[in-house]
Amino acid sequence: MMGGAYIQISLWQLAIALVLVGVAGAASVLYELRLQKDLAIGTFRTFAQLFAMGYLLKIIFNLHSMLLVMGVYMVMTWFSVRIIKGRVKEKSIDYYAPTMVSVMVSYTLVTFIVTGIIIGAKPWWTPQYFIPIGGMVAGNSMNALAIGLERFFSELRNRKDQVEMMLCLGADFREASKEMFRNALKAGMIPSINSMMGVGIVSIPGMMTGQILAGADPADAVRYQIVVMLMIVAATALSSLIVLHLVRRRCFGPAMNLLLKN
Amino acid sequence: METIIDFDTVSYTWPGGKGLQDVRLAVSGGDFVLVSGPSGSGKSTLLRLAARLEEPDSGTVRFAGVPLADLDPPKLRRRIGYIQQTPVVMEGSVRENLLLPYSFAVNREEVPPSDTVLQDWLNRVALARVGLDDVAAALSVGQKQRLCIIRSLLLRPELLLMDEPTSALDRESRHIVEQLTEELNREGMTIILVSHSDYRPQVAHVCVTVKDGRVAGGDGRMAMNDASAEVV
Repeated sequence: MMGGAYIQISLWQLAIALVLVGVAGAASVLYELRLQKDLAIGTFRTFAQLFAMGYLLKIIFNLHSMLLVMGVYMVMTWFSVRIIKGRVKEKSIDYYAPTMVSVMVSYTLVTFIVTGIIIGAKPWWTPQYFIPIGGMVAGNSMNALAIGLERFFSELRNRKDQVEMMLCLGADFREASKEMFRNALKAGMIPSINSMMGVGIVSIPGMMTGQILAGADPADAVRYQIVVMLMIVAATALSSLIVLHLVRRRCFGPAMNLLLKN
Repeated sequence: METIIDFDTVSYTWPGGKGLQDVRLAVSGGDFVLVSGPSGSGKSTLLRLAARLEEPDSGTVRFAGVPLADLDPPKLRRRIGYIQQTPVVMEGSVRENLLLPYSFAVNREEVPPSDTVLQDWLNRVALARVGLDDVAAALSVGQKQRLCIIRSLLLRPELLLMDEPTSALDRESRHIVEQLTEELNREGMTIILVSHSDYRPQVAHVCVTVKDGRVAGGDGRMAMNDASAEVV
C-alpha cells in the first residue's frame, strides 16, 4: 500500500458535482427528452442510498459481528433474486426456489473462497472484505442468471417441436434439452468472459479505480482486480449451472413431458 | 389381437378450459385407426396422451395392458413412433438425422443400422436421389417428413402415431407417405393416424371421430363413449 493518502471530498465539493448532472438535465430540456424528473429522482436516490449505505457499512464495520455481516449478505442475495425475478418474464414455471438455492450456494462458496482462502482475511467474514466482495459477486452473477434463464425458457418454447421430437425418439429430458441448456449457460457466461478480454485496455475497472483513488499501490489494486474478475467468472458459471439444472427439471413433468405453456 | 393402447374414461382439460371428456377407446394390435374431426376438437391431444406428451386429468391410458404412468417414459416412447405434423430435422447430414435416436441412453444397446439399410429405407420412400451425406435441412418439407418417418421406424415401434403427417406436403409426397403407412399396416404395424383431409386408406381401417371433446366411432372391438361405428 502507498500509505492510504487520498484527497477527501467535502460536502461543498460534492455539491459542485451536481453541475455534472445539470449537463444531462440541460440536454433533456433542450431536446425535449422529458427526463428531468427521472434525473432528479435518480440523483436524489444516488445521494440517499449511498449515504445510507456508507453509514450502515460504518456501523457494521465497527460492530464486527458475524451475525450482522451474514444478515446484510442475506438481504443482498435476496434482493438479487428479486431483481432476477423482475427481469425474467416466464410465468408457467416457478423458478424462484431454484434461483434462491443457486444464489445462496454459489455466492457464498465463491465469496468464502475469495475472502477466507485467497485474500486470507481473518476471520473469513471480516465485513470490509466479505460485504464488498459478496456484493460484487451478487451484482455480476445476477445479470448472468437473468440472461441464462430468459434464454433457456425462450429456447425451450421456440424449439418445443424439436424437444418433443427427441422425447418421442426415446430421449430423456436432459438429452432433449441439451442444446438449449448449453446455449443458455453460454449466454449467461459470455458477458463475464468478454469483460476479461477488454479489462485494462478498454477500461480501468471500478474496484481498481476506487483503490487507486484511495491511495493504494496500483500493483496491489491490480491483484485485487484480477481476483475479482476471476471470481465473477466462477460465480456466474456456478450459479448459472446450478439454476439451469434445477429449473430444467421443473420444465418437464414426471412423464418427461414439456410443461412450458405458450 | 390383443389391445395395444387403451383409453379408459380419460379426460383432459386444455389451459383454455375445454378438452377431452371420458374418452374410452381400445385399439388392437394391427389396427389402422383413422381419427378425424374439426380443428381444435382434440384429435392431436388424443395422440399426445398416448405418447405421454400430455397427462390426463382423470382416467387411465394403458399400453399393452400397463398404465402409462407405470412405464419409464423413454422406454415407452421408443416403443411408440410419433410423427409430428411439421417435420423436425436437426443440423447435420441425412445420416446423422437418421441415427439421432441411437445417441440416446435408452437406445444405446441397439446396433445402429448400416448405410446399406439406411439407403434401402430412403429408396423405399422414394428418396433414392437423396444421399446420406446430404444436408438434411436442405430437403423439401415432403422429403423431411419421409426422413422423420424412417427415423421413427428404425426403432421398430409397435405403434405408430401420426398427427396429420401429410398436411404440409405436396401431392406427390402425400401419396408416398399414405402408401407407406398402408404398407406398414399390411406388414402388421398398428397405426393411429389423425387426418383433417378426406383421406381414406386402401386397407381395412376403423374411423373414429373426435368432436366437442368426445370420441365417437370404432368397430365392435372398441369401447366408445358414444358408439356409432364406421368400419371400412
